[in-house]
Amino acid sequence: MPATAERAEARAAWLLSAPALLGLALFLALPFALAVALSFTNLRLGSPLPLELVGLEQYARVLADARFRQALGNNLVFAAVVVPVQTACALGLALLLHGRLRARALYRAAFFLPVVFPLALVAVLWVLLYAPGPGGLVNRALALLTLGHWTPRDFLHDPAWALPAIMVTSIWQGVGFQMVILLAGLQGIPRHLYEAAALDGAGRWARFRHVTLPGLRNPLVFTALVTTILAFRLFDQVRIMTRGGPAGATTTVVHEIFEAAYVRAQAARASAMTVIFFLIVLAITLLQRRLAAHRRWAG
Amino acid sequence: MRSAAAPGRCRPRCGVFAGALAALVLVAVLAGCGREAGPAAALTVWAHAGQAAERRVLEAQVARWNAAHPEARVALTLLPEGAYGSQVQAAALAGDLPDVLELDGPYVASYAWQGHLRPLDGLLPPDVIGDLIPSVRAQGTWRGRLYAVGAFDSGLALWARRSLVEAAGARIPAHPREAWSAREFEALLAALAARDPDGAVLDLKLNWQGEWYTYGFSPLLVSAGGDLIDRSRWRAAGTLDGPASVAAMRTVQGWIRRGYVDPNLDDAAFVQGRVALSWSGHWDWPRYRAAWGEDLVLVPLPDLGRGSRSGQGSWAWGVTTRARDPRLAARFLAFLLRPEEVLAMTAANGAVPGTRTALARSPAHAPGGPLHLYAVQLTQGWTVPRPRTPAYPVITSAFQQAFADIRDGVDPRAALARAARLIDEDIAANAGYR
Repeated sequence: MPATAERAEARAAWLLSAPALLGLALFLALPFALAVALSFTNLRLGSPLPLELVGLEQYARVLADARFRQALGNNLVFAAVVVPVQTACALGLALLLHGRLRARALYRAAFFLPVVFPLALVAVLWVLLYAPGPGGLVNRALALLTLGHWTPRDFLHDPAWALPAIMVTSIWQGVGFQMVILLAGLQGIPRHLYEAAALDGAGRWARFRHVTLPGLRNPLVFTALVTTILAFRLFDQVRIMTRGGPAGATTTVVHEIFEAAYVRAQAARASAMTVIFFLIVLAITLLQRRLAAHRRWAG
Repeated sequence: MRSAAAPGRCRPRCGVFAGALAALVLVAVLAGCGREAGPAAALTVWAHAGQAAERRVLEAQVARWNAAHPEARVALTLLPEGAYGSQVQAAALAGDLPDVLELDGPYVASYAWQGHLRPLDGLLPPDVIGDLIPSVRAQGTWRGRLYAVGAFDSGLALWARRSLVEAAGARIPAHPREAWSAREFEALLAALAARDPDGAVLDLKLNWQGEWYTYGFSPLLVSAGGDLIDRSRWRAAGTLDGPASVAAMRTVQGWIRRGYVDPNLDDAAFVQGRVALSWSGHWDWPRYRAAWGEDLVLVPLPDLGRGSRSGQGSWAWGVTTRARDPRLAARFLAFLLRPEEVLAMTAANGAVPGTRTALARSPAHAPGGPLHLYAVQLTQGWTVPRPRTPAYPVITSAFQQAFADIRDGVDPRAALARAARLIDEDIAANAGYR
């Protein structure tokens, strides 16, 4: 009897998840399978030439392209800086806005607002903020803060500054989202734990370290994972603010894929890039999950 | 509790919402069908939705044609310019191209190679073809056959403030033959910069990016003796990264390095008087004339050694291989090329009339007129068409990237070598586009 009930339940589960699975298969699995298949051909959009199998040639070309390797490096640097910094900023903001604060809702809304803006708009605004010369807002602010010791720069055209400039923009835009998730996490930590810790003589830091952080473990793992994936997907800001320049200093893998597929019509080459990229991101995500699963908060 | 109650409360409302959505979709579908089923057009025409003035003229032209030929009604569809190329490409893949297609000049070879365009040689009357100005004819020709005709062409040169240039002690060249040499031009930039508060005296429209970089600056390569690609062997290596092309780009980089070039955060460097020279096209004429009146003068681009060279090319019309009645399509093109129609269009967009008859009737382009230089450049061989090859989309993308890098300080030799490699790789991957 229980076996049949279980089977009926399983059937219902399949039935109920069918629409979602169908959608995933149609819009995720199938295109990806096609990308894998196409990456072994020489497909060009709109070409009247016959489609040919070229084996691993597209992969060889992609891996030999210095710009692709540079893009991958930029993605890694971007993720390595943005994920911890953005998570830390979000945690700081969440802690600030969790406490008793006047006009708390107003602050929360203000910090969340950039998340609501379209990325394109944010990017255009920051291009103006980064204006070169002493007239640019960021340049002027830095001059003010350093009491005039700052020499104005053309941030978005300076190989050393362009990627950090995009990082700042991205963090500003994305931090609100993580903040909201961490705020929700904070509200889920039972108050009595803090009270018990206080009774045990734990100070503010100890309470943060041994109550807040363990309590936020899942939201933190989640936000770090999501931010990592978003960091690898980096495209809009780059397309609008620098187009991958100066000299590839800000190009990303998605930007290179876009250039290959939609500007140069090299669909097969773009497919090969996608497959390589997928494997790398998959590996990083699995690694991160693994680390998160094994990590134990001290105490 | 809350979460359990929510779906129950929502259900009727969701139903209404879903119903409304379904109705909306149905209405949209019906409306779409209705449009399809309307009085059948004899000719479908796609064009890019350019500036408002240009669009209005085109719509008026179609209305005039439809009034004169009720039996051969034209249905015009305007597509946004930003995504025009990709929409046309998608339609081509789906076999949905219209009878008549507007396309950007340098892409003629690419479309023709893909088999979407029908040669116009036998379709258009010879006198119509003979009336085209040489640059328009060159742009539409690929492998000896004419595939596209434009009603106008573009003009590229330097807009200058006469008073400032004269105060800097330079002569004002009136003909491409007399263009400033590279050394003269640099001396002028230095002299102008000495009198300028921020030292930036040249507007290169670096804010435009995209096709502008190839259109506006590849003529300099030719002026120096280089080019985007060797146009007989169709190989970029050795030409695009050859010493002449590298030297040309080094020259431009030098202007930027020495601070002569406005950073172009906006498009107003010239009209606000921040710079004395603006490297731009005919489209800025109305704005610039309004700002500077009689002080505005048009001078040829500098000569980097092999004579001044300028850009050319603009939107053009082609008849697709899908056209149901190619003769009718060609008649519509001939109508758009009538002098009065050409002049109606150029009066709106400020471009150079694409036929000799219309050009002769345009006072601004006549000898002594303020835009005469454009007519000289386009009709007397001072302009270079962008390479007419199906590889053009890749050539322009690679050069744009190289130019952006050079602007940001990358060594021109390295930037151009990478571009040349990308281009040659693409040509090889396409069996030489034969």
